Amino acid sequence: MSTLVTVLRLPRGPDPNGRGFDPNSPRFVALCPTTISASTETGTDSVEIGEEQRARSALRESFLRTLIAMTNKQVQFHMYERVKVEAKFGASDIDVLNFQVSELQTPIGVQKEALLRCQDVISYSFDL
Amino acid sequence: MDTWRQLKPLEWCKYVNKEVKVTAHEKQQHHGWVFTVDPVSASIVLVTFQEKGGTPTVRVVTGHAVQEVEVLQEGNEETAGRLRVIFTPPGAHTLGPEEVRHRKESLRLWLEKNRIPVEEKGEMLCVANVLTVSAPYGAEDCSSSNEIILARVQSLVESNPDSTPDQPANS
Repeated sequence: MSTLVTVLRLPRGPDPNGRGFDPNSPRFVALCPTTISASTETGTDSVEIGEEQRARSALRESFLRTLIAMTNKQVQFHMYERVKVEAKFGASDIDVLNFQVSELQTPIGVQKEALLRCQDVISYSFDL
Repeated sequence: MDTWRQLKPLEWCKYVNKEVKVTAHEKQQHHGWVFTVDPVSASIVLVTFQEKGGTPTVRVVTGHAVQEVEVLQEGNEETAGRLRVIFTPPGAHTLGPEEVRHRKESLRLWLEKNRIPVEEKGEMLCVANVLTVSAPYGAEDCSSSNEIILARVQSLVESNPDSTPDQPANS
């Protein structure tokens, strides 16, 4: 599928306040964590919290380097229901909830620009 | 199923630089060397080196899909180094602390020679209270809210005759 084909435009999706897109909906709250795991103040002393924060920064920095290495590369996304698509990775948002991709190859054609929901992705891989 | 996401960053760190087998949703199984675990999404970044020395493959398993992580092998200094190297962008080079200190001194003297008020604030140079220069004290490391001063100081930094280590400072 190397040439772009016009993709049949499906009817407009639910508006931002529809099910699943509303930040207060049970689905969003269940799937998209609003807080990240951390030690509580009362249980640990400040040295441990400092170490935890250092670990968190180091891990996050490495992950951001992974995202940088991924930009403009062909990435294969393995999603639920055994769906496998390939696209050129563009960018991610800060919470790693959405990926902006280009040239998304779908069974019904190649979509020039698309937004992938990370909750629908199980794993993704690319070659350096 | 949620146990992976509930782990603390220090516990995630224990998996870094180890070869693991990750079982994910829909019976997906992946193995590779853990480069990092994203603290925000709990996604595991696995690297698989090709046997014949080709480009490594990177696979990321999203945090919400992780069911089980099993450690297969411990890594060592060599694997840690290999992982670090593949993600370093080309052209980046790290400066030792001596070299960073030398650059700071050289820049400070150059600015003072040009009658620019500069004071040291910890690791940063503070110029006239409106501009700061952080390590490694190049033109791109200047930050200020005043664009005119920023442009002036940046051109000064670039014209520092001592900006390369093997050039003697002008008297």
